Amino acid sequence: MNGEIGAGAPLVVKDVVCGFCGLGCDDLAVEVTGREVRPAASVCPEAARLLRRLDTGAGTGPASGEVYDRARTLLASARAPVFAGLGADIEGGRALLDLATRTGGVLDHAASAGLFANYAAVQRTGWLATTLAEIRNRCDVLLVIGEDPTAAFGRFFERALPREALFAAARHVIILGGALGAQARRQLGTARVTELAAGDPVAALSALAQLVAGPPPRGSSFGGVAAEALAEAAAALKGAAYAVATWNAASLDRADLVAERATRLIDALNATTRGGVFPLGGRDNIIGINQLLLWRLGYPLRTAIRGEGSEHDPALYATAAALEDADLMIWVSAFRPEPPPAFDGPVIVIGHPDTEFATPPDVFIPVGTPGVDHAGTVFRMDSIVSLPLGALRVATLPSVAEAVRRLVPAR
Amino acid sequence: MRIRLRGGRVLDPANGENAVARDVEILDGRVVAATREKADADYDLGGAIVMAGGIDLHSHIAGGKMNLARLLMQEDRRAYPEPALPQLSGGFCGCGGGRAVPTAHATGCRYAELGYTTVFEPAMLGANARAAHLEMADIPNLDTGAYLVLGNDDFILRLIAAGAPQEEINAYVGWMLKATQAFAIKIVNPGGINAFKFNARSLNLDEQNPHYPVTPRNVLTTLIRAVTELGVPHPIHLHGCNLGVPGNDETTLATIAATEGRRLHLTHLQFHSYGTEGDRRFSSSAARIAAMVNANPNISVDVGQVMFGQTVTASADYMAQYRNRGFASPKKSIGMDIELDAGCGVVPFEYRDKNFVNALQWAIGLELFLLVEDPWRIFLTTDHPNGGPFTTYPHLIRLLMDRDFRNAQLATLNKAAQAHTLLAQITREYSLEEIAILTRAAPARILGLTDKGHLAPGAVADIAVHDEDADREAMFSKARLVFKDGRLIVKDGEVVDLAPGTTHVVRTDVDSAIEGKLDAWFDQTVGLKAKHFAIADGELRGGRGPSVLSCVGGAS
Repeated sequence: MNGEIGAGAPLVVKDVVCGFCGLGCDDLAVEVTGREVRPAASVCPEAARLLRRLDTGAGTGPASGEVYDRARTLLASARAPVFAGLGADIEGGRALLDLATRTGGVLDHAASAGLFANYAAVQRTGWLATTLAEIRNRCDVLLVIGEDPTAAFGRFFERALPREALFAAARHVIILGGALGAQARRQLGTARVTELAAGDPVAALSALAQLVAGPPPRGSSFGGVAAEALAEAAAALKGAAYAVATWNAASLDRADLVAERATRLIDALNATTRGGVFPLGGRDNIIGINQLLLWRLGYPLRTAIRGEGSEHDPALYATAAALEDADLMIWVSAFRPEPPPAFDGPVIVIGHPDTEFATPPDVFIPVGTPGVDHAGTVFRMDSIVSLPLGALRVATLPSVAEAVRRLVPAR
Repeated sequence: MRIRLRGGRVLDPANGENAVARDVEILDGRVVAATREKADADYDLGGAIVMAGGIDLHSHIAGGKMNLARLLMQEDRRAYPEPALPQLSGGFCGCGGGRAVPTAHATGCRYAELGYTTVFEPAMLGANARAAHLEMADIPNLDTGAYLVLGNDDFILRLIAAGAPQEEINAYVGWMLKATQAFAIKIVNPGGINAFKFNARSLNLDEQNPHYPVTPRNVLTTLIRAVTELGVPHPIHLHGCNLGVPGNDETTLATIAATEGRRLHLTHLQFHSYGTEGDRRFSSSAARIAAMVNANPNISVDVGQVMFGQTVTASADYMAQYRNRGFASPKKSIGMDIELDAGCGVVPFEYRDKNFVNALQWAIGLELFLLVEDPWRIFLTTDHPNGGPFTTYPHLIRLLMDRDFRNAQLATLNKAAQAHTLLAQITREYSLEEIAILTRAAPARILGLTDKGHLAPGAVADIAVHDEDADREAMFSKARLVFKDGRLIVKDGEVVDLAPGTTHVVRTDVDSAIEGKLDAWFDQTVGLKAKHFAIADGELRGGRGPSVLSCVGGAS
């Protein structure tokens, strides 16, 4: 995908795969001139910000051998390290896991709060889910719970509900507890939109699920939405050939309850028609790292490796809780310049070269960005599809995998 | 490196050797003719049985549905923590654990301890193929491969509905095999998973899809013809219609008839051998189906034996899994429609020996094993983990080899089920040689792996050594020695080393005219470019790439 890259005329690279938000767009076009990268087409604002590279001449160079020595010393003396952030491609994740099996420690991702809100529902009852290509072609009624997804997933409606579909003749978007912005409206084109403002989206969603499952709840309004409006939405969902419920747990209060109610609603719908949940999320390859942990350790994120075993606890091994008992934080963020959370003890950052720190970490190892500086694999938010990221320019910094492999003591 | 295994008895049915006392010599990972050269390592086997490494042609070991099962069944993982491996330097290797859905690492280690060295994942979805390969790369001590699920994807249903020429179907199948790095074609509930997306709750062999003028029979015969004409060694690997439904015996018999003499592999046949006789409307049709298998040499089967205890069922057959989710134990399940491609359903399940249906399922599986006569056409599987975990194989082998043991087990089961099975009257006991056929020689042959499953010069030095023991469960529970590519990986039943495996794939001639259509399909309809869907060789096995078997097409 990336041809010859010289320093002369800009080279337009097409079909660039984007690994930032988890939506998995793979049709971006960027202009590459030497080490400079500029978005050209099919790039959402978030990707534009994270892909853009300007050669200011003040770039951060690779870490020296002494920096790696210092990191190894910190790792060797740590008794309770926390590996946090974990913004890395699959190879980076593999290297981090190999390191953690030697040093022990807690593993968690910067974006895992939303994931575990959803897992609270999955692990209790399971759920009936769907993936992007099914929504593109089958979904005739889409229930969005909470805010406009376009804010975090810039091309969501363009990708999920294109005008052309194999099976869905028309599209109807019902947004419960939010409103659609201009971008979303533009992407949706002729799709019908119903906006249901809700003071308490969880209460409104509970009532909607109950209206679908029956018997209908008593009352004239639920969570600030009139009962008639909810009944209409329920009828639309029940009348759908393929209904989908979506929400972004990271942006919702009481997201675990939203996931649980949405799961129940879709469950009830499937008694008579078809549909699935489509939880939004998945930035910085959290889904890929989580999948990797599941097949390597048998547990998702928020797992601790200690002594001769590993254990999972979604509360105890969340980053903030784990840091309270930690004596070292290893913060990994290759996709974006995200600084680590505050921590009293020593900090190793394996991160984006542009990261700005409130307090300089004890060790900073700048790394390249997957999909910009080096190839790699990332997972899409549905956890089914994974994508090959390519390199847009010659790397001057190591990948997370390369940096971390230098830290692994020889066995 | 030259290794000599002295004083063993070689059980190599592919070459007609039945416990022949001879030395086996290995040079640089291959079996060679015996020499007088000095060996670098020499093992005195004291009369132990020497076989080729076991080959499992149907075991769910990788892919998204297994991770969903791990996520759903944390109970399984907690109950079976990772063992420390004191033999390995470093002790703790971060290998995970679990029994019904073990981690990648534990899968490789537990299989190796049983003497297995090659395992095929039988239901890889194209949409999830890259993930399945990433996971397989983390399985040590096993060579792997995967069968691509086709026949529920909207692309092929559209082709069939439009009356596309067979050449175009073949081009698509060849392209997909290469793009997903697959070894064979699997069909799961032909067209049924797709029909479920259009809200059909069942689909019989000659029933039309709600959207497409296509029946399961059309899908089956079209894909049988495709793999035949492309020269894919393994026949269509079929999980038929109506899995688990009483009365599906008729579907199974009709499916065999539908092949009109072409090769077909019926997988987990036990789940497709149910009649509707008796007051509970659930009965064994094993005898009828075994007779039909015996009479049709183009048919091969694996059993999918049910083994009692807790497990997790994970299948692409979302239609069937949705139907069965009321039986979930514990009460939770996951289902998913996937990418205009297929689906998946994960349902935890506990098979109970006092339960009529479960006990009869157990008996039906054993009846099939004992009534299908040709050991080259039946394979030992539990459809891991769907009928039970693969770690129960030694117990299953004893059930097949030891009639008294089998009948003693039968006598403890649900009384009504005992009255509904012929099992007690069946006198057959498998011989050691037959077990070696079921678990090594025959799978290698049906998969077209000419250098596996036997111990003649040139064979891959995947070798299992078992001490003879009248208790066959004990004998097969712990291999005395296991070599992977000539490297010692198991000693006295314990993993002592981790060898990297390879992944087997097939390649056919591909008519590139299909590429333009696929580019448009993926880009506009799926929402993912074909070139990003396709998996490069370098993405397999940590950059080492696959082991490629080139197909010679042209047969029809």
